[in-house]
Amino acid sequence: MAIQDIYNAVMAYEEDDVAELVQAEVDAGTDVNVILNQGMIAALDEIGEKFSKGTLFVPEMLMAAEAMQAGLNILRPLLANSGAKPVGTVILGTVKGDLHDIGKNLVGMMLEGAGFRLIDLGTDVDPENFITAAQENDADIIALSGLLTTSMPEMEMAVAIVQEANRTRNLNVKVMVGGPPINQDFADKIGADGYGMDAPSAVETARSFVRI
Amino acid sequence: MTWTHRDRILAALNHEEPDRVPIDFGGAEFTTITLAGYERLKKYLGVTTPTEPMSIIHSVAHPAEEILERFGVDTRNVQPGAYEGGRDHWIDDNSYVDIFGVLWKRTEKDVDQHFLHKDGPFYEGKLTVEAVDAHDWPDGRNPGLAKGVKERVAEIKAKGDHAICLYLPGGVIHRGYAMRGFEAYLKDLYKRPEALQLLMDKLCDFWCDTAETVIAAAGPENVDIIYFGEDLGTQDGCMFDPDAIYSRYLKPRHRRMVETVKGLTNGKAKVCFHCCGSAYHFIPHLIEIGVDALNPVQVTAKDMQPERLKAEFGDKLTFWGGINTQRILPFGTPDEVAAETRHIIDVLGKGGGYILNSVHNIQAEVPPENIVAMFETGVKHAYH
Repeated sequence: MAIQDIYNAVMAYEEDDVAELVQAEVDAGTDVNVILNQGMIAALDEIGEKFSKGTLFVPEMLMAAEAMQAGLNILRPLLANSGAKPVGTVILGTVKGDLHDIGKNLVGMMLEGAGFRLIDLGTDVDPENFITAAQENDADIIALSGLLTTSMPEMEMAVAIVQEANRTRNLNVKVMVGGPPINQDFADKIGADGYGMDAPSAVETARSFVRI
Repeated sequence: MTWTHRDRILAALNHEEPDRVPIDFGGAEFTTITLAGYERLKKYLGVTTPTEPMSIIHSVAHPAEEILERFGVDTRNVQPGAYEGGRDHWIDDNSYVDIFGVLWKRTEKDVDQHFLHKDGPFYEGKLTVEAVDAHDWPDGRNPGLAKGVKERVAEIKAKGDHAICLYLPGGVIHRGYAMRGFEAYLKDLYKRPEALQLLMDKLCDFWCDTAETVIAAAGPENVDIIYFGEDLGTQDGCMFDPDAIYSRYLKPRHRRMVETVKGLTNGKAKVCFHCCGSAYHFIPHLIEIGVDALNPVQVTAKDMQPERLKAEFGDKLTFWGGINTQRILPFGTPDEVAAETRHIIDVLGKGGGYILNSVHNIQAEVPPENIVAMFETGVKHAYH
């Protein structure tokens, strides 16, 4: 019942309630993975589904992610201590020459909400920095964002450099891409392993890479 | 009859077929070309006139008169002068603080060199009515805003009979994002609607006062089109709920803006509203508040197929834009651009109601041959 309350509080965007309810569950000895998966991730999945269907919009997604964060702040140290592994680790950033980050940030929030460990390198990111961050953090996925049509060649180059590093530099990551001018055809053409049409579908793509 | 440039634009806006499709280029800050793209175009056309930026922040150019003439462009841009009194200032070449106290930045490495807002007066903490009220707001009656407007109108009138497009920057959403931060603004729609509505009203006051100042300087009888707007859509849908949020909080302000400029021009000027992305679910609202034309008609966004838009809204709304900037214009051949331009004119231009322009500004990587192909196809497109 109380897990359902956490789910409901995320769906109602009540971050204070989420924090309070999560803390109460933790104090009562509930398994932190149950709180995370059944309370919070399940709620954010439903938010994502409604967003993709067009019945919820950007403000609601931001508020749900914020409510989720309030719970995650409590759970994170406990999850680390419990030895539970994150679903996967994602290195995220906007490609070189592009400073746009609204879509990228939405993807980041949804990935964190889905239990991924996220390392956000920000905007205007050099391809080598993605590779270094992936090596340092033993990442599973590199996710590239871009808004400008003029940054599409940068994205193509970044994908090529990462895939080359996969072959020759002991890197083992999947590369996914997204952004307004990007589609599946372009993603295929430049050799990306996956594409996300919006933030929830980016989460689906990321999940497919870590086989959950 | 002999059609003047102005006749053509007005016919299209009145849903009548002119002699050929009317063309806009550079009528406003979102229907022009980036500075980098413009340099390529100038070189290709052999134009040596020094470049005049329309906006450093958006990194776009005022196309030179000789280019507008060559492309048969029917509009001419007028916009407010620079605010006087030193409220805005440059920190360095890549950092600028505007009259609202917003910090804009770019990096040397930016592909398109345009600025994004990185800090504003309400970025931190909770938005309160007191803080919005206490802010030192700029004044839309500032004399700098009128500067050069009368002279620009006289210059256009002296050179020919073009449709005068008065571009009034800003609104209540994007300037709000810049002052408050994008994510915080969107959350405040639910969490702090009272303070956010006051912020919207302050921005609306400034915009309406600016309109009054600039229209008085231009001469109300000279203004054919008022161009303004802000994005309500994303690539894949609506930014916010069209009914619960747009209707309740934003539409009343947009209505006031439209009614203000129509009142100031005695109902003569037509209003073109700019909204990127998927505008579909907002179009009935925009028609209801008196918007006459929609720009840029982002045909690659969700629900924005030209056939569908024309069938559903073509009798009430003029479409302004529509030439695909995300695929065909940058990556197609000149023949493909010409074919797409003909297709869009045939669909959106049937019975008038269409003004030719790219979807948003022409970007840096668009080959000049494709720009020429787009406009030449327009000039050749006779209705009769």
